[in-house]
Amino acid sequence: MINDIRVGALIAYSSVKRGNKKTLVFIVFVLSLIFLNLVFLPSMIGGLSGLFTGFMQDYPYGDIVIEPMGDNSYINNADNVLKKVRAVEGVRAATKRLDVGASINHKQKVVGVTITGMLPIEEYDISRYPHIITEGDFLTDLSRDEIIIGAMIAGTGFGSEIYDNLGQVRPGALVEVTYSNGVKRTYKVKGIMEGTFEVVDLNALVHYKEIEDVYGLQGREATTVVVRVDKQGTEAHIQEKIRDAGVNEPIYTWADKSESLIRQAMQSMGAIDIMSKIVSLIVGAALVLIIIYINVLNRKKEIGILKAVGITPRSIVLSYAFLSTFYVSLGIFAGLILYFSLMFYFQANPVTFYETMEISPVIDPVLLIQSIVTMLTLSVIAGILPAWSVSRESILKAIWGR
Amino acid sequence: MIVAKNIKRCYGTGETAVKALKGVSFKIDKGEFVAIMGASGSGKTTLLRILALLDDATDGEYTIRGLEVSSLPEAERSYYRLTQVGYVFQDYALINEMSAAENVYVLSMMEGKSKKESYKTALEALDKVGLKGKHDRVPDELSGGEKQRVAIARAIAKKPDIMFADEPCANLDTNNSKQVLDVFKELNEKYGQTIVMVTHEPWHVEYVNRVITLEDGNIISDDRKLKEKGSTELSSQNSNH
Ligand SMILES: Nc1ncnc2c1ncn2[C@@H]1O[C@H](COP(=O)(O)OP(=O)(O)O)[C@@H](O)[C@H]1O
Ligand SMILES: [Mg+2]
Repeated sequence: MINDIRVGALIAYSSVKRGNKKTLVFIVFVLSLIFLNLVFLPSMIGGLSGLFTGFMQDYPYGDIVIEPMGDNSYINNADNVLKKVRAVEGVRAATKRLDVGASINHKQKVVGVTITGMLPIEEYDISRYPHIITEGDFLTDLSRDEIIIGAMIAGTGFGSEIYDNLGQVRPGALVEVTYSNGVKRTYKVKGIMEGTFEVVDLNALVHYKEIEDVYGLQGREATTVVVRVDKQGTEAHIQEKIRDAGVNEPIYTWADKSESLIRQAMQSMGAIDIMSKIVSLIVGAALVLIIIYINVLNRKKEIGILKAVGITPRSIVLSYAFLSTFYVSLGIFAGLILYFSLMFYFQANPVTFYETMEISPVIDPVLLIQSIVTMLTLSVIAGILPAWSVSRESILKAIWGR
Repeated sequence: MIVAKNIKRCYGTGETAVKALKGVSFKIDKGEFVAIMGASGSGKTTLLRILALLDDATDGEYTIRGLEVSSLPEAERSYYRLTQVGYVFQDYALINEMSAAENVYVLSMMEGKSKKESYKTALEALDKVGLKGKHDRVPDELSGGEKQRVAIARAIAKKPDIMFADEPCANLDTNNSKQVLDVFKELNEKYGQTIVMVTHEPWHVEYVNRVITLEDGNIISDDRKLKEKGSTELSSQNSNH
């Protein structure tokens, strides 16, 4: 076996050293593209998931979110919780919200939504809701018979084609809301919000007091308490401090939240990602196979000669394993250079989707290592197979073709 | 040393089958330099490939030094080719990406010799065939005669029991042919190398000491030349052994 390895290495070495350099460059170039194909899309998807996380922070969860205990529908002493939270050092702002289910009715069209009751003035310090009003205005503290509707349900924004919508509702229109407890209210549309994000654009906003009224609450309940911190990165620390301050409800950082959410939201993305990876790998392996196969066919006679003079088939197969490992290593190296140049470019110039969604790719070392290992393994196999099949042919056939 | 009994080789099956060898028998002793002659298509190459373990006979027995080699498993045949048999191809069959020395010493390495030892063996063999100072050249940088001499060096470096050559001069001009044949003669006379060479050039006969002639897959003559120097007279026809 040692002899086989030495001889295999010698054959591979001389074939690289004196082989056609143009072919080598071409093979390495193709392999580098295969590698790029393997890592680029996942990096973009990584960027996309970062974007989703940002959305989660900007709209439903803030930096830290406190939710009802156990099976409770509400945090029952939300004002108390708010008081404790606001006293914690490093907390910039906090507010309470009430999320309820409802349906909105406009000219015979009905759409089911989540309506969030919020304190409009406080939201300026908490979320981006006040800043995404594309038509009309945001709620004020006096907005008691007014509603903000997401662009997708209003039927004006991106995605209106996909979801049921109210058919071009504009500010000033009257809509009828039926809450989950059966109470009906009529509101004037005050504004349309568009966050290019389903959680936002399929939602509606009213004043906190509205929900309180409708559900007969006492002014202390909330479905979430949303907290923002002074400094990004201190969330986990402040989460601890809030707990220490005596808040017994479950407290989540945005990272906790998005982890589970992204896991769900990204599942479909993940499937695309995995499919694209599998396709890339198959294409990659096929290409390596073809490259090595052509190489092997070109050198079929040589393989026959080597066998005829007593070189073992195993050395010959090994020499091709070495060769393809060498090609692929160079290909991966070149691919990494290409990859980092592209990452650098796209991080400086993010891709824009739907006018507002900026995606800049994320470099994931685990993904890179995974891809390198898979590509090496696959290509060594793809490199060995053709050599193995030719090295099993009879000497006469390999050298003289019959 | 070599005993072939009733060797037959049939290519293909059914109506298109070609009987390339129809049952040939002979014996070759150590130190002989044998020419196999005959018209094109008479079965010379077929016979040589079988003797060199590159091909299987359809029928017959074949022993080298008493060992029945025709029935060995492939791994052992491969080892036999590596260690006991040298083969020189008509078209040199060198590895183009390897230097002259590498072409030769890859076999020693296969045998398990150290790189240094292998290199030394290769240089010795290249010196023997008169290629001193050219061992770093790749085949493209050598003339036809030189290439064939590298191929010979490759065949003799392992000091094989027997060396086979299939029309080694077919692609060479007279001058280069003479160089190659001189090397064979020297190997045979100086080192006692047993050589079996296929050729169809009548003038090659003066280099060898025995001529086996094939026709249509049968041996039609087997002539041992008189050993005396300068003699061109052939001994009376020997019967097959
Ligand atoms: N691989 C093969 N398949 C079929 N027929 C073959 C093959 N090799 C040789 N032959 C036939 O066998 C006969 C002997 O061929 P060969 O041994 O090459 O003759 P020579 O070397 O004397 O010219 C020829 O008729 C040739 O066409
Ligand atoms: Mg021939």
